[in-house]
Amino acid sequence: MILIKLAYKSLLNRRGSAFLTLFTIAISVMLLLSIERVRVDAKSSFSNTISGTDLIVGARTGDIQLLLSSVFRIGHANNGVSWQSYQYIKQQRGVAWTIPLSLGDSHKGQAVLGTTLDYFTHYKYGKKQPLNFSQGAAFSHLNEVVIGSEIANKLNYQLGDKVVISHGMGNTSFHHHDDNPFTVVGILKATGTPVDKTLHIPLAAIELIHGGGHSAESEHDHDHDHDHDHDHDHDHDHDQHEDLTGEPKQITAFLMGFDSPLYTLQVRRNINQYKPEALLAIMPGVTLRELWEMLSIVEKILLLFSSIVVLVSLLGMLTTLLASLNQRRRELAILRSVGARPWHLFSLISIESLLITLLGCLLGCGLFYTLMSVTAGLLQSHGGISVTINMLSHYELMLIGAIMAAGFIVGLIPATRAYFYSLADGMSIKI
Amino acid sequence: MITLNNVLFKWHKQQAKPTLSIQTLKIADGEHVFLHGPSGSGKSTLLSLLAGINIADSGSIKLLNTNLTALSNRKRDVFRSDHIGYIFQNFNLLPYLSPLENVMLGCQFSKNRQRKALQQSASLEQEATRLLNALGLTNEHHQQSVADLSIGQQQRVAAARAFIGSPELIIADEPTSALDANNRTAFIELLFAQANIAGSTLVFVSHDTSLQSLFNRTISLTALTEQAA
Ligand SMILES: Nc1ncnc2c1ncn2[C@@H]1O[C@H](COP(=O)(O)OP(=O)(O)O)[C@@H](O)[C@H]1O
Ligand SMILES: [Mg+2]
Repeated sequence: MILIKLAYKSLLNRRGSAFLTLFTIAISVMLLLSIERVRVDAKSSFSNTISGTDLIVGARTGDIQLLLSSVFRIGHANNGVSWQSYQYIKQQRGVAWTIPLSLGDSHKGQAVLGTTLDYFTHYKYGKKQPLNFSQGAAFSHLNEVVIGSEIANKLNYQLGDKVVISHGMGNTSFHHHDDNPFTVVGILKATGTPVDKTLHIPLAAIELIHGGGHSAESEHDHDHDHDHDHDHDHDHDHDQHEDLTGEPKQITAFLMGFDSPLYTLQVRRNINQYKPEALLAIMPGVTLRELWEMLSIVEKILLLFSSIVVLVSLLGMLTTLLASLNQRRRELAILRSVGARPWHLFSLISIESLLITLLGCLLGCGLFYTLMSVTAGLLQSHGGISVTINMLSHYELMLIGAIMAAGFIVGLIPATRAYFYSLADGMSIKI
Repeated sequence: MITLNNVLFKWHKQQAKPTLSIQTLKIADGEHVFLHGPSGSGKSTLLSLLAGINIADSGSIKLLNTNLTALSNRKRDVFRSDHIGYIFQNFNLLPYLSPLENVMLGCQFSKNRQRKALQQSASLEQEATRLLNALGLTNEHHQQSVADLSIGQQQRVAAARAFIGSPELIIADEPTSALDANNRTAFIELLFAQANIAGSTLVFVSHDTSLQSLFNRTISLTALTEQAA
């Protein structure tokens, strides 16, 4: 007890250098925790991007390339899946639902996705959460658009606003279709996934933008059941029955769900060996994990660097303690004269280094939470990473434990030196 | 109280001449002994042997009928904190403790002395206050920063720390070197008064022989060493 009090008062007496040391440790702890938290949250945001989808099918490219283009809207799929192949595959046994995806167009640099109403019922993210509307509902006419939450926020769109879709990607597209704007009829709730940054229009409308296809009036029976389902929801549309799917020549990719997971592997094999067209079917969960593995080198380097920063800060503490020790030999001799054993002096210096590390860690946690609450919004809007501000995880506590242990071990060096000083100096020390 | 027989001590094994060699030295209970010798003659070294900080290479050192050389390191540390109060030449106090805390530090490592201090006063703090006042340091200085005290005041705090818990032996290693002549005498008289009240033996070391008239016994370290040679 007396030793803790002595260590504390002695540190307070040297508060200038002690606080600097403590602050360096705090900064390094904050850095380590922040990197760790962002890493974990990035990983979970990442693996929560899509769920409940058993297969993603597209033209034969790489697994990761298909995942990136169909789910993350990154990169461009040159080839697609022909409509005939899509129709054939969706009638396979065990297929519960399919969602056709047609990508490649944009609005002010944001991705436009042509799809069917199934998207709003079967697409899941996170822990199998469906998409929800914060305002409005799904499209029911060819010239209607459903926008993600971030699009609504960023571009300040409300229900009823008119939106012009351009052909191709990029802000400066020459093909504006001012004559045929889309009306915002639905705004989705935030998901923390690329859905937030997407404009959704009926699949048939994509054809119209590209000048091909057919008019809204042309009727097709092949998808009649499906349309019928939705007309129940939109009774007021009964008089004006539009085909929202159309019959495009090809789509970019499609998502599949099965009645039972047993079908997944079998259908996947069939698709990968499908003769008429070179197709690729991937299981999103598996490919997401592969993709994360590729990114994990970055995460390891980040962790390595922040560990080095922690180490450097602890070495700073070592330097400070060792430098002060020489000036404190008189202090140690006085303690010896009142009966302190060399072992007490060893403990005293150890307690000092532990106190510095402990306070450094506590301050570091404080700084970490401050940083997180300040930057949470930025990370969400710029990085798409939803940072969770909650208690430290087991792993984070372990990291702090490791820092404390390292601080203790580093502190053993000056403590040992104090031990031997006290043996060698006796009380006849001349400074 | 103290008995030394054929004591030899070297700081380094390879030293040709021992730092200390003393054939016999006896100091009785309650004596106020003035031990003098020139700088570097080994006065502090002898005191560190008496305090059990260092051990003699040969010979025996007995304090209160306990043979220090026979004790384990740990037991010697306990023995010191129980029975010896130590006053240094200067830089006596821990700068980060108040004068009062510095005084209480004197019995922090000894149950024995805590018990004795509590026989005098209701609490350690009260006993420390009492001693400081007895040594002429008034209450207003008790919580003040140690650095703001004069050297004379600092030595009074150091003396109070040595006396707390009434140890049998008080060792003072040139405590007056930094004081002016008037303060020197006043300080030594305060030491004597306290030593008499507590019944402590006092071993006072100095190179300044002008102080020896105040003591009832004077020992020259040079004479002791020559006698052995
Ligand atoms: N810690 C030490 N290590 C090695 N030699 C020491 C140490 N302390 C003192 N000495 C040596 O022992 C001798 C006596 O020193 P000391 O006892 O301090 O003399 P005094 O107190 O009489 O001035 C000196 O030669 C000194 O150099
Ligand atoms: Mg000396």
